[in-house]
Amino acid sequence: MSDSDSEQEQRLTLEDLEGSDAEMLSGEEDDPLDILTTQRVTINNEPALKRLKEQIALPTDIPWSETQSITSTQPVSVADPDDDLNREVAFYNQALEAAVLGREKIKKEGGVFERPGDYFAEMIKSDEHMAKIRQKLLDENASIQASERAKAQRELKKFGKKVQTEKRLEREKAKADALEKINALKKKRQGNDNSTNADDEFDVALESDDEEMKAYKTVGQNGNKGKKRSASSTPESRGKRLKKDQKFGFGGKKRHSKSNTADSSADVSGFNVKRNKSTSFKAGHKAAKAGAKKRLGKSRRQGGGGRK
Amino acid sequence: MATVFKQQKTKRDKAEGIVANDAEEKAIFKNKQRVLLLSSRGITFRHRHLLSDLGNLLPHTKKDAKLDSKSKLHIINELADLNNCNNCIFFEVRKRQDLYMWVSKTPNGPSMKFHIQNIHTMEELKMTGNCLKGSRHILSFDKNFESSPHWMLMKELFTQVFGIPKTSRRIKPFIDHVISFSIVDNRVWFRNYQITQKPVEHRSATDTTDLTLVEIGPRFVMNPIRTFDGSFGGQTAFENPEFVSPNVARAKVRNAKAGRYKDRMEALAKRDQKMKDAVLPDDPLSEKNVFA
Repeated sequence: MSDSDSEQEQRLTLEDLEGSDAEMLSGEEDDPLDILTTQRVTINNEPALKRLKEQIALPTDIPWSETQSITSTQPVSVADPDDDLNREVAFYNQALEAAVLGREKIKKEGGVFERPGDYFAEMIKSDEHMAKIRQKLLDENASIQASERAKAQRELKKFGKKVQTEKRLEREKAKADALEKINALKKKRQGNDNSTNADDEFDVALESDDEEMKAYKTVGQNGNKGKKRSASSTPESRGKRLKKDQKFGFGGKKRHSKSNTADSSADVSGFNVKRNKSTSFKAGHKAAKAGAKKRLGKSRRQGGGGRK
Repeated sequence: MATVFKQQKTKRDKAEGIVANDAEEKAIFKNKQRVLLLSSRGITFRHRHLLSDLGNLLPHTKKDAKLDSKSKLHIINELADLNNCNNCIFFEVRKRQDLYMWVSKTPNGPSMKFHIQNIHTMEELKMTGNCLKGSRHILSFDKNFESSPHWMLMKELFTQVFGIPKTSRRIKPFIDHVISFSIVDNRVWFRNYQITQKPVEHRSATDTTDLTLVEIGPRFVMNPIRTFDGSFGGQTAFENPEFVSPNVARAKVRNAKAGRYKDRMEALAKRDQKMKDAVLPDDPLSEKNVFA
C-alpha cells in the first residue's frame, strides 16, 4: 500500500491528473465512496422468491399436455462456455432427451405427435426462404468439391513435373556418361599411337564396337531414331575407307610409321616360310624366281589398285 | 370481446337463476395465457426481427405499438389489461445497442429483467429447420433450474409465458419443435429445434432414437439482472451479483485505453520528482569544500 501513499502525494502535485474518474470505475463490486469494501450486498430474498412462485404457479394436477414442459434428467454442465461445439452438443442432447420423453407422454395421453406427410399448412419460414437455404447448401457443397478437384489437379501437376524432371536428368546423365567414355577411348587411342597431335577437335568420332557408343550415336544424336546402316556397308566392302582412315585417321600417322617399334619387329606377317626357303641362293634359283610370284608394284601393294 | 360476452352471460345466468356449476368448472382448469409483445423506441433491425420471430413462434401473443417512455413502465400493466393479456414480454433498447428483456406477469405478478446477448434470428441461413406456424412445442428445461429459488421462479415464469396453452386460437395440431432453456455460465441459453424422424435406413450405429433435431432459430442468451416483486417495478427479490452492465463494460475498455496515457504521464512525473529528490549530500572531501 506504499504505492497508494506515493499516489496520494502525486495527486497533490499533479493537478492536471486529478479529477479523472478512472479510479472510481473499479467495477460493480466497489462502492466508490468506500474504498475498503470489496463486495456489495446483493439481494437474494429466498423466502420471497418461493412465495412468488407459489403465487403464480399453475395447479399441479393438470395433465401434462397443458404445459408440455420437461425437465432434463441430467443437469447441463459445460466446462468452457466459449467452446461452441461442446456447448451446442450439450444443448442438443438436452433437447433430444426432452423430445423423446415428450413423445412418450403424448402417446400415453393419447395425443398425436407426428405430422403426417400430406398435412400442408403455413410454416414459420416461407418457401422462398427455405429455397434460399437449400441454394446456399448446394453452393457450399459445389465450392468444396471444386476446391478439392483443384487441389487434386495441383498435386497431379506436381507429380507429373517431378517425373518429367527425373526423366530429363536421366537422359542428361546418360549423355554425360557417354561423352566421358568417348573421351576415355580417345585418350586410350592416343596413348597407344604416341601421337602428339593435339587436333582433337577435328577428330572424327571413333567407330567402335562399344554398344553404348552405338546407342549414343543412334539415340543421342538423332533423337530416338538412329541412322540405320545399310546391309551393303560391311567392313569388307569398306576397305578403301578403312585404309584411308588407317593412313589419314587422327591426322594421319606421318612420322614413325616405318620405324622399328616393338610391334613392327614382332610382326612376322611379311615372312612367308615357303618363299624364303625357295628364294635362297641355291640351284634352280632362276627357275624358282621365274616360277615365283612376281612382287607387285608399290601403289598396288599399298591397296591403291583397283581404283576406278 | 370475450370478457364482455362472459360478463353478459353471467348477468343473464344470474338473472335467469342459473347457478354456475362451480365444482365442475373448478375441476377443469383451463390454462389461459396471453402475452403482450412490445418494445421501446430506438429498436434496431436485429431486435425487431427477434421480436417478430417470438411473435411467430408463440401463437398466444399479441403485438402492440412501440412504447414511448422508458421510465414509466407501469403503464404497460394497463396496456396489457386493455389487450386481455396476463403476461408481457417487453424489449427495452438502450442506446440503440443494448437489448433488455422484461418478462412479467401483469398486473400483480413478479417480473424479471434480462440482458440479451448473442442474438441470431430465424432468418440466418445456417439455421435450416422449419416448423408449423403455431404448433404447440415441447419445453425443455435444464435440471439446473431446480437448484435455486430464483431459477425455480424463472422456470415457472417461462413455462407460462413461453408455453402455449391449449385454449389459444391460432394453434396447430401436431408437435413439431422443442424449445430448450439451459443454464451455462450463470446465463440462460435459448434454443429452438425442429423434431424430425429419421427413416430406418438413414440411422447410424450411434443413434439411440429415431428422432433428430434441426435448429430452426432464433437463438439468444439471457443474462438475468433482477427479479421484482411486482410487475415492472416493486421490491427487488433477486439481484444477480455477476451482472456487469454493458455500459460499465464499455466504459472500462475506454478507460483502460485512456489509463495507459494517464499512467505513462504519471510515471514520468514520478520520475522527475525522484530525480529532483535524489540529490547527493555534500561530500566534505569535494573540491568545493576543500578549496573553499
